[in-house]
Amino acid sequence: MDAISMSRVWREPARLIVILGVLLIAASAWALDVPPLTGRVVDLAHVLPADVVASLTNDLEAHETKTSNQVAVLILPSLEGEPLESFSHRVGTTWKLGQKGTENGVLLLIALRERKIRIEVGYGLEGTLTDLRSSHIIRQEIVPRFRSGDLPGGIAAGVQAILGTIEGTYKAEEVLSGHAPSRQEPTAFQYVIIGVVVGTLAGVVLSHGLPRSRALLGSLLAFLVAQFASVGLGLAAAGVTAFLLWLILQANRGKGGGWGEGFMTGPGGGFGGPFGGGGGFSGGGGDFGGGGASGDW
Amino acid sequence: MGSRISVFATVAITVLLVGLSGCGYNDLQGLDEDTKAAWSEVVNQYQRRADLIPNLVATVKGYAAHEKETLEGVVQARAQATGIQVTPETLKDPAAFEQFQKAQAGLTSALGRLIAIAENYPNLKADQNFRDLQSQLEGTENRIAVARKRYIEKVAEYNKGVRYFPSNLTAKFLLHLEEKPNFTVADEKAVAKPPEVKFN
Repeated sequence: MDAISMSRVWREPARLIVILGVLLIAASAWALDVPPLTGRVVDLAHVLPADVVASLTNDLEAHETKTSNQVAVLILPSLEGEPLESFSHRVGTTWKLGQKGTENGVLLLIALRERKIRIEVGYGLEGTLTDLRSSHIIRQEIVPRFRSGDLPGGIAAGVQAILGTIEGTYKAEEVLSGHAPSRQEPTAFQYVIIGVVVGTLAGVVLSHGLPRSRALLGSLLAFLVAQFASVGLGLAAAGVTAFLLWLILQANRGKGGGWGEGFMTGPGGGFGGPFGGGGGFSGGGGDFGGGGASGDW
Repeated sequence: MGSRISVFATVAITVLLVGLSGCGYNDLQGLDEDTKAAWSEVVNQYQRRADLIPNLVATVKGYAAHEKETLEGVVQARAQATGIQVTPETLKDPAAFEQFQKAQAGLTSALGRLIAIAENYPNLKADQNFRDLQSQLEGTENRIAVARKRYIEKVAEYNKGVRYFPSNLTAKFLLHLEEKPNFTVADEKAVAKPPEVKFN
């Protein structure tokens, strides 16, 4: 076997690997990612002047304060082959626009290269912002302005029409007073932390001046709280609590009293919810069922 | 003495809780309810589509009365689809499920043909009423796609619970739950893309 045929033998698999690699990269790039929710107006195609973005954001924010409806605008350079409806639904549910319970979110999505428009309507607004009304807004407010080349004007008119339509559906007070407590479910991590903290406190209090085995009740309490997340985490929380209690009781035995100090140094802090990064805009937990309308220009 | 009792109680309660949540009893019950709710949404959206059809047919008739075959095809397919009542209970029956799926797919394709002939009638295409009905139909098809997607996800989750150890024991001997039939992928491809409607 000479060198040439030898290299050919090796070249084939190498070529195959290269092709496979390219295919893999292509496949992973094919599914368009949902962009991060950086504000009420996410203009990835850079078609809106800064002052239009600012005034739209202001209007949308004022509208949410008044009605609790969450309306957001997303402008994409391209859908990259993704079907408009399924992508728009994915964005709405990922961003969780609208409040949990009233599901009053709306997304206005513009895809520049495909020249497509979609209004995605949350479950709770389907009654007022119907498919028909959404379609009218697209056809009568947005498309004529887009066709004459006025993208910012079309978007602003579309947003105003959406806000005007959903204006009277909900009042902020009733939504916020009725749903604020259930606005977000505690995360698994929060259950564990709460379980450990409450369990440790209870264990210390219960065992104060009593047989030390009472401290185990604290462990049980931690399990009961954290098992809402999962049984495994419940057991883990119980274990951590037992260990903390043991440490505290050991320390207290030495000091004799003064059990109030020291035991809060363990876990603490760091359970800010899934949302809320520095005063930015975040979804309220709303859901979408595919309502709304699509159009093109 | 008292301390020993409290230790014993603690251990007993813990074992009981682990046992209960470990066998998946609550999870399975919850998943079963979830699939039923997701199914109701699917049926709901199909019904919504069926409700739109009489108006749509009447509007098309006004412009294209001689397209009898297509129009009658839609009316028949609708009658067939609405004639099948699938409740959450009969969902367990794969044959009934397939029958339902077939009838709805038949209606989907009949509607597709109806929308396609509209392309040949400029006056019909420009009719405000027709355009409104079309956008409602489009919206409903999209809702059906979403409801079906959610149902598929819920049933997959439920079926896992029914098959995986140890919750499969609970499903079999305690709750008598069986796997539920799901929408097929081939069918899903056809539905995932709502019919293309152009307003030009």
